[in-house]
Amino acid sequence: MSALLQNLVNQPYKHGFVTEIESDIAPKGLNEEIIRMISAKKNEPDWLLSFRLRAYEKWLSMTEPQWQNVKYPKIDFQDISYYSAPKPKKKLASMDEVDPELLRTFEKLGVPLHERAALAGVAVDVIFDSVSVATTFKEKLAEVGIIFCSISEAVQNYPELVQKYLGSVVPVGDNFYAALNSAVFTDGSFCYIPEGVKCPMDLSTYFRINTEGSGQFERTLIIAENGASVSYLEGCTAPRFDTNQLHAAVVELVALDNAEIKYSTVQNWYAGDEKGIGGIYNFVTKRGLAKGINSRISWTQVETGSAITWKYPSCILRGENSVGEFYSVAVTNNYQQADTGTKMIHIGKNTRSTIVSKGISAGHSNSSYRGLVRIAPTAENARNYSQCDSMLIGDQCGANTFPYIQVHNNTAVVEHEASTSKIGEDQLFYFAQRGIGAEEAVSMIINGFCKEVFQQLPMEFAVEATKLLSFKLEGSVG
Amino acid sequence: MTLMTLSNNDYINSLVERWGSYSNSTNVAWLNQLRSEALHCVNKLRMPTTHMEAWRFTDLSSLAKLSFPEALLFPRDQLSELARFFLSESESEYRLVFIDGHYVAELSQIDSSEKIIQGNLSSLILSHNQIISSHLGKLAEFQDDLFTALNTAFIQDCACVILPRNVSIARPIHLLFISTQSETTSYPRCLVVAESGSHATIIEDYVATNENVYVTHSVAEFFLADSAKINHYRIQRDSNQAFHIANHVVSLSASSYYAGVNITFGAQISRFSQRIELGGEGAECSIEGFTLITGQQLADTHTFIDHMKPQGKSRQIHKCIADGSAHGVFNGAVMVRPHAQQTDSAQMSRSLLLTDKARIDAKPQLEIFADNVKCSHGATVGQLNKEEIFYLRSRGISESVARNLLTYAFGGEVIEHIAVPSLKAQLEETVLLRTQIA
Repeated sequence: MSALLQNLVNQPYKHGFVTEIESDIAPKGLNEEIIRMISAKKNEPDWLLSFRLRAYEKWLSMTEPQWQNVKYPKIDFQDISYYSAPKPKKKLASMDEVDPELLRTFEKLGVPLHERAALAGVAVDVIFDSVSVATTFKEKLAEVGIIFCSISEAVQNYPELVQKYLGSVVPVGDNFYAALNSAVFTDGSFCYIPEGVKCPMDLSTYFRINTEGSGQFERTLIIAENGASVSYLEGCTAPRFDTNQLHAAVVELVALDNAEIKYSTVQNWYAGDEKGIGGIYNFVTKRGLAKGINSRISWTQVETGSAITWKYPSCILRGENSVGEFYSVAVTNNYQQADTGTKMIHIGKNTRSTIVSKGISAGHSNSSYRGLVRIAPTAENARNYSQCDSMLIGDQCGANTFPYIQVHNNTAVVEHEASTSKIGEDQLFYFAQRGIGAEEAVSMIINGFCKEVFQQLPMEFAVEATKLLSFKLEGSVG
Repeated sequence: MTLMTLSNNDYINSLVERWGSYSNSTNVAWLNQLRSEALHCVNKLRMPTTHMEAWRFTDLSSLAKLSFPEALLFPRDQLSELARFFLSESESEYRLVFIDGHYVAELSQIDSSEKIIQGNLSSLILSHNQIISSHLGKLAEFQDDLFTALNTAFIQDCACVILPRNVSIARPIHLLFISTQSETTSYPRCLVVAESGSHATIIEDYVATNENVYVTHSVAEFFLADSAKINHYRIQRDSNQAFHIANHVVSLSASSYYAGVNITFGAQISRFSQRIELGGEGAECSIEGFTLITGQQLADTHTFIDHMKPQGKSRQIHKCIADGSAHGVFNGAVMVRPHAQQTDSAQMSRSLLLTDKARIDAKPQLEIFADNVKCSHGATVGQLNKEEIFYLRSRGISESVARNLLTYAFGGEVIEHIAVPSLKAQLEETVLLRTQIA
């Protein structure tokens, strides 16, 4: 059974190249000086500096969380460079002036930037080691009043919006990594959809960690005003290094009355080699606040990369009739570890949430679903449905589920289901009977297994995710 | 925080102070050794707090204030009053009775003509030293568990049941623990060794004479050798003021079968931890739990089913009805170790909230490290189904009767499976009584 799936799994990482660009790197280590330096370099207003310093102070008083089901050597937070930016040559007037080396990198990644972006109809805000290099489609979006830019630009141009919402969903002292991010975040995306506007196209950012030994601390803030709606895509890659890199992002979503935010991620950070050396530590805090009535927040994620994934995109359902959704596929292979899931906090009346989580483990990897469904005493008639399925490929891997269900209101209905299965010999035999080879059969079975989640992805992401999955598991069944 | 730690340690210290008077009460060296090792652990351990994952929802700070002494012996002239706790099949049952933790031979019923070996620890420890010393304290690990360590340090009386090879006992074995005195701490202990091919039904029954405040730290160890089969009914109907903290560990050898039913009605704070080790190929267990609580009661059930060897099978259902401001906690973990292939495991947790003050925290948990397995779990929390009520009403049944009927039926499913008729009737009556309010 195993030779074929083994090959499938052992497909080399395709995005593991380093771009030779002169970077402006801060000295390693973290202290108040560095934070002041980052803030000064970015020409930030005082309130943001004090926001950072407040977060840093909180961070100093906190200890690294230990409860998650992953193992890794202790991180030396003083051995990380907290700022790395491509050296600015001059102000860029058009896309043609972007460093061609950089553009080639994105071409290798297949990012639909430039003309290709127009063809794909996607506006891309490219984050390259924490600094936004170019933003496309900005003008087109501006016509309908949508602000889509890097967060540093937003701080300069729309400070009152940023000040109002930054840290309102994920407070500076929320958790260890969120505090760290709040103290040192260098860039990220900002998106504001004004009242009643339906965003005419899918917005997209592409994150990439380039410099060895640098952490990436980006910050995303998306605000949908009354009646607005947006679909936002995020893709991530990193080159291959033998050392581990830390990625501690914070994403905040705010949906007001009747607003809708759909946030999709395809995460393909470098996962380390087949012996588990190197790879990204992805410790991310993502949270959406469904603040207004009838608001809706939907998270869809396909997690294939990172040495360690540790994230729980959450929904706080405060508005009446608000809806939270979480669709996830997490694939782990070799020595990857994933501890991921969601939190659905029901506060408002008639709030509803759906959780569909699919975990696929192969090799020596370990994947866990960890979720929380909390029904507050105020959440009359709240409804939750959760389903988490795991698939194991090989007998060296593990799959765990840790769902927490806390119900404080008797009108709520909460259901949770989980199952574990494997790709059976008889299933493969059935395919073989129909003239379908093992590899294709596995791919079909896995796609069938993940179908419910892929259906939630925007078209081009669904295609990418399907491909990614077959790369990822190439050769792990045979 | 400092204050809390202080009072926690006070609880342990004041219990430990009383240990001195028991330290030389046996002349069996290994037992003294076991007890002092446990005491050593007690001194190292701290009272669990809600900062610990395993105790997140169960706040023991009210227990920490109550370091009660052990009970005095029950007056012998009042013993006859306690016969009401016997099962109506009392003629045919084997019975070991413990009052406030002390063994009472006068009420017990041991038949020495049959092949089963049963009795209090003190009467068997010399005649069956070999088998008892190789089992007692071997399953219930106390290194990291304060309450098990406390119980082990205070072992004095212990219900022992040894089933020799291929012995099958039809009559139920009733282990009856009666609490009579207020403000006391007792340390009930059970040891069941079922040798290969043996079969028996064991009832572990905790009852109280009145609504006293007392603390029970109980530990039970069950060893099932190859192909042994044990039915175990554990009934906790302590006073609603009591604290009941129990640890139960079962070890299953190849092709053995353990069927347990755990009923929780009593105690203001109760915690039942159960670990089932499927340590032999083809071992099988089926555990059912039913918790019915009201008022300010908190009932916490933690189960851990450990599939260590291939072809194991486990079935679990846990049901909880929370009325009043009661708080039900369920944590059910299923572990499938590497190489425990062809494991078949299913778990279901269902909870019913009857009021808007009641609360449920459920955490089913699967940890799987083998690929050829079939595992599932499910959890639901909710109130009575409106359509079901409507259906009954459409048949001319009033809303309150319909509600009572459905609530009763919810719990009745577990009680159905108790094969001792008089016990089943008693429990049914209690459930009926408790679900008829409103």
